[in-house]
Amino acid sequence: MKKLLLLSVAVLLVACSSLQARVKLVALPERARVVVSLNNPDATLVEEERIVTLQKGVNKVDFSWRGVNIDATSIQARMLSHPDNVTILNTSYPPNENALIWEISSPVAQEERVRISYLITGFGRDVVYKAVSEPDETALTLRNYLRLRNNSGEDLTEAEIGIGYGASFKKTIAHEEVLEVLSERIETLPIKKVLTWDAATLPWDPEYQKATVGIPLSYVIKNDKASKLGTHTLLPGKVRIFIKTKEQADKEGDKPGEGVAFTGEDWGTLTPVDRELKLYIGQSRDVKVTQRQTKKDRTNIRRNNNGNQDVVWDTDDVYKIEIENFKKTAIDLVIVEHLPGYWKMVESTHKFEKKDAFTIEYKLTLPAESTGDKKTVVTFNVNRLNVQGNEPANY
Amino acid sequence: MNPRFTFPLSCIPTCALALAGLLLAPHAHARINVVTLPDRDSTQLTIYNSADLTLVKETRILTFRKGLNRLEFSWANTLIDPTSVEFRALTHADEVDVLDASFPPRVANTLEWGIKSEFAGEVKVEIRYFTSGISWAADYVAEASQTEKLMDLAGAVRVNNNSGEDYENAQVRLIVGVIRLVENIAQLAQQGRPGQPPPPPVTDMPMAPAPRMAAMRGMAEANFATAAKPKEIIKEGLSEYFMYTVEGRDTIPTGWAKRLPSFTAKEVPITSLYKYERERWGNAVMRYYKFTNSVPSKLGTEPLPDGAVKAFRFTTEDKLYAFVGRTSVKYIPINEAVELELGHDQEILVKPVLMNWAKTDLQFDNNGNVKGWATKETWEIEVQNSKEIDVMLDIRRNFPGDWTLVTDAKYEKVDATKVKFLLPLKSREKLKLTYELTTRHGSNVQK
Repeated sequence: MKKLLLLSVAVLLVACSSLQARVKLVALPERARVVVSLNNPDATLVEEERIVTLQKGVNKVDFSWRGVNIDATSIQARMLSHPDNVTILNTSYPPNENALIWEISSPVAQEERVRISYLITGFGRDVVYKAVSEPDETALTLRNYLRLRNNSGEDLTEAEIGIGYGASFKKTIAHEEVLEVLSERIETLPIKKVLTWDAATLPWDPEYQKATVGIPLSYVIKNDKASKLGTHTLLPGKVRIFIKTKEQADKEGDKPGEGVAFTGEDWGTLTPVDRELKLYIGQSRDVKVTQRQTKKDRTNIRRNNNGNQDVVWDTDDVYKIEIENFKKTAIDLVIVEHLPGYWKMVESTHKFEKKDAFTIEYKLTLPAESTGDKKTVVTFNVNRLNVQGNEPANY
Repeated sequence: MNPRFTFPLSCIPTCALALAGLLLAPHAHARINVVTLPDRDSTQLTIYNSADLTLVKETRILTFRKGLNRLEFSWANTLIDPTSVEFRALTHADEVDVLDASFPPRVANTLEWGIKSEFAGEVKVEIRYFTSGISWAADYVAEASQTEKLMDLAGAVRVNNNSGEDYENAQVRLIVGVIRLVENIAQLAQQGRPGQPPPPPVTDMPMAPAPRMAAMRGMAEANFATAAKPKEIIKEGLSEYFMYTVEGRDTIPTGWAKRLPSFTAKEVPITSLYKYERERWGNAVMRYYKFTNSVPSKLGTEPLPDGAVKAFRFTTEDKLYAFVGRTSVKYIPINEAVELELGHDQEILVKPVLMNWAKTDLQFDNNGNVKGWATKETWEIEVQNSKEIDVMLDIRRNFPGDWTLVTDAKYEKVDATKVKFLLPLKSREKLKLTYELTTRHGSNVQK
């Protein structure tokens, strides 16, 4: 008998109508099957099947537990072998006991497979991702683990555990055990490495900074078929990313070994199919972005009749962004600009993508070693219209 | 013989009924005790869910002598309201009369009836009283099919007996409805005997205002025929309450709770409905099962009392469950459509993005200040169904002020400031909803 698992099913043939006697004829049918469903992120459902030997007539089946965090109101029994003629007449809850008694009627003496379901608390689950990137950072091997923390008080033996997608797996997880299970492994999953410079959060002129400005580095994974994914929503969880390294050979002349180095981690967000998961894992300091506003004019100024207040005006703004890539490889960079209020782009050297009413993005590929004269320069001229000084910047 | 009898299953002293024969003294100070110990012949519990109140009706066979009989009724360790105990003969009713009822001094929880009988022999009598400590609640289990087009709905009622009394083989009737009580039954029960009367009532009714009496009469039907109340009120009263009679009989000892199946409806059509309204739930999408309590929907034979619901979905051929969520439902009249709110859902994505914002139509007052303007917003709502099944999505957008909406999408105006887009979504479907909203401000406002 397990230490804390005290679920027991006792069958009594109803000889007298007394419920209070609580005489338990302890025939403890073993669990024939245990299924744990983690579909619902907020609840853990356990279904267990037991073979109960029923007598002809009304049987009392006693179900009790101790030290198990069961939601007593959730306990249900379903008849699997003879659902049409074996029926639960009622359920009784004795005072001051973690128990209930089913009155089950059976037309004949027979074995019945009964599926008992209930919700338990204290069963935690985390999704954990571990990824190892190829040295060129174009692909990685993604391993998706399910980390189960059982503090429910119940030992779940040979349980079929399902998380709502993919095949369920059979594991034993004892009370107070933490079990990590590999639920998915995807080899050579293509990734995009991208740097993101956001004008709202990063300094515009690195010259005025004491330390080198690091530009956030992300890996982008697309949850689609092309990326060998796309079968289900990626659940939120921590992602740790490593990169393959060559290691020194043990002896001279030996082949160098293979190892890994840790490159960073992020919280993966819920990612439905066909959407991108962007993991911010570190910073690059080999790319330098300098943004300056080279024109800041107000035009079409309308003053009130007293002439003491500008009531409404337009602006004529030019921004120049100079980007240097000191790396020996090309790299993708996204420049994020924020334009509040009502605006119109007059001119832009590069194509941009409007993400929302107040945000545009330039998606650039910086050539290797594009510095000095070879640096990338983005210039755009934007007019803001009917400005009153209270323009919305987000929604 | 023991003046009190306890029921075979009970260890707690309970209601006892003793018949003392041929007592001539008008007061029972002599405390002459039992002559017979009649068993309960039948018991009926009418349990209310809106108040801590149960009407108990029990029948017993008593053997009367011709002349004056004295009948003692005692109820130690129970929660019976002494002001509510009533006696009535069911057989030989015209020959058996209650002359008086006395609560003897220095004896708690006891009353004695003086009964004049013209008949000698067995008489079936009914005793009726209120008790507190028994409650009931409905609960439901919804099992949706894999496609979430149909569900099996099983209703149950759970009766909790903490009244101190065992009720064996009782017929259980449950009242859904809100009744008024001017005094708390549990408090009345504590007094053990009628205490200080309540504040003077408008009429000479002993305790209860009309709605409650009406309800009681409705429940007890002919048993209340002697009550001097017009029948119209009975009908009125009935119309506001609903009674659920549990088939058969049951035993619920004190301290125990019992859950009884109430109904099962197979293959009730449901809509797997999802709702998004940022003002209510932020960015979360809420999940619902929607169904109608109607005959075409395999229901509709009774109003469904309020209660807790647990919803599951079958995930495999052999009907393993996935837990969808739990909720509580309000009272559902017949033909009412119901939405079971089952919590957040992560597999339906709704992402509204403001794609363009413009300020136009500026108007100026005599001082040259802006007095009126309009904003024009272009919105794109990205919608994605990551589920394996088709669903219905209800997106609500709130537009304060004087606005005009231009869109190719079909929408319904819920009220002056709210519109609803109802989108059927196929499995794995993605779509984009676009609309343009113009809002007039300041002196531009036209309505």
